[in-house]
Amino acid sequence: MHDTGLPTGTSGDLVVDIAGLTRVEGEGSLRLRVRNGAVEEAHLEIFEAPRYFERLVVGRTPDEVIDIVARICGICPVAYQMTAVHAFEHGLGIPIDPQVRALRRLLYCGEWIESHALHVYLLHLPDFLGYASALELARDHRAAVEAGLNLKKAGNRIVELIGGRAIHPVSVRVGGFSRTFLRTEITSLREPLAAALEIALATVDLVAGLVPPDFQREARMVALRHPTEYPMNEGRIVSTDGLDLAPTDWLDEFQEGQVAWSHALQARSRDGRPYLLGPGSRLTLAADQLHPTAAAALARTGLAGEIRTNPYRSIVARAVELVDAVAEAHDVVEAYQPPDRSATPWTPGPCTAAWATEAPRGMIFHAYQLDEQGLIADARIVPPTSQNQAAIEADLTIFAPQVLGLPSDQATHRIEQLIRSYDPCISCATHFLQLHIEDVG
Amino acid sequence: MPAPVEVEVFICGSPDRGDDGAAMTACEAVRTELPAGVRVRSVGQLDVDDLLAVPPEARVVIVDVATGIEPGVVLELPLAKLLEDETFRPRSSHALAVSGTVALAELIGERPLQGRVVALGGTRFAMGDGLSGPVAAAIPRFAAAIREAVEHARTEGAAACA
Repeated sequence: MHDTGLPTGTSGDLVVDIAGLTRVEGEGSLRLRVRNGAVEEAHLEIFEAPRYFERLVVGRTPDEVIDIVARICGICPVAYQMTAVHAFEHGLGIPIDPQVRALRRLLYCGEWIESHALHVYLLHLPDFLGYASALELARDHRAAVEAGLNLKKAGNRIVELIGGRAIHPVSVRVGGFSRTFLRTEITSLREPLAAALEIALATVDLVAGLVPPDFQREARMVALRHPTEYPMNEGRIVSTDGLDLAPTDWLDEFQEGQVAWSHALQARSRDGRPYLLGPGSRLTLAADQLHPTAAAALARTGLAGEIRTNPYRSIVARAVELVDAVAEAHDVVEAYQPPDRSATPWTPGPCTAAWATEAPRGMIFHAYQLDEQGLIADARIVPPTSQNQAAIEADLTIFAPQVLGLPSDQATHRIEQLIRSYDPCISCATHFLQLHIEDVG
Repeated sequence: MPAPVEVEVFICGSPDRGDDGAAMTACEAVRTELPAGVRVRSVGQLDVDDLLAVPPEARVVIVDVATGIEPGVVLELPLAKLLEDETFRPRSSHALAVSGTVALAELIGERPLQGRVVALGGTRFAMGDGLSGPVAAAIPRFAAAIREAVEHARTEGAAACA
């Protein structure tokens, strides 16, 4: 027995409670019920902020909503803004200038670079190299951590320039942006992006050489897919089992439901199946649309198949997406010509507005009802973490028996590492699990 | 010509999240009283880059709300103590903890950072909450502690230069 103080199961049961998945936004917990060495159920609770925002935006204008939803997350505000603005523009039938579209892709690339660089270098890499934190990693591998920070800085710079500030950007407006950007402003990103591309390519080589824990499974994967580009702002919702939906039609296939062990809603297919979002799903479903530089980097790893079946390989998927985002951003910068106006004029009115985009950690969906005055009457915001929750639980059910015999600190580390592979919001705390095991068998 | 930066004050936290907004509230109360040479920046979540950008001779004051301290209690300590004291858990964000950010900045920047941390014990951090009772009542003391920490940092800096 490693620890006590837990609910006692019936004879032959093992109950594992991992309490206090601490994070700024709230707390969560993981509870595993084990019978005869097999995990019967894994219940993961992750705090979910958007529920509050769904009520907060009611009565607001679309432009106000874009600024408000950016506050949901300090790491991926652009994802919330992009999903909302596309929903409104699609619902209201507002055409978008191609250069504005390109700038939005650049902005989203910036967020992907920030988020993926943070996750790969400061959160996930220490796990693989046997360090307790990024700080300990930096003591022995300072150059690697510096490279990660420089990569992240390139992303910050894009978001700060296009978004108006590095955290919770403010420039996105329905129809375009709050201002136009000079070509000289945009081309100031050229050199930092060229340097970032070198780092991103080296990152792929670095993480492809890491040895992941042995874990294989076939998950149902879901992502956006676009006919001519790697999915970010646009694309159809597709899956590894043949789903093909417009980005407005998420509710036709998926639904959110309350589960007894969590205050947060959990999304599943309408037939109850879990599904997995994120870099591994995107690469599995849209690798043929990667930027050529990123496609070549992925091919060099020879790991496309393993990315699909081993969640620990998500670090490779993230690194390939870093290359993609940096190379895409560089192309946008080179091709940029200022549009004639910062935003397309539009008229408020009633509509149903819905859209899905790809946040760094997976697909995000928004749906709004606008009333006769063009104000929000109803909102639905479905973040990637709540969609991935059921898939994470399914993977934990398969994986946990491998670690139940280990000392609690080792078991905790292994489970943390797996959960971190999905990059849920809670994974950012360096040590977010407290493992208690009681064996009553 | 602006005065050179002697002390850089980093305000951490978000006004959307209950007690997490207390650092901003308290700093607003003292901002106009701070002398020239003190630069105040609201950073939300403190980043390594923020600390790497601190001028070489400048001191830092990090203002944050924390758990691990009784709600409403104000704590002021040297930056070095932050790295040693595990009971102090700043409500920093989604990425690295403040202590990890400081340590990483020192390592990458190849210099120790000098300064103070001013923390207030908080209890309520949910989105949309206002300040809790103990934290709201502590704002004047929190503001006074920020003022003192800035003065302390300036004095230390002047002594180091002498």
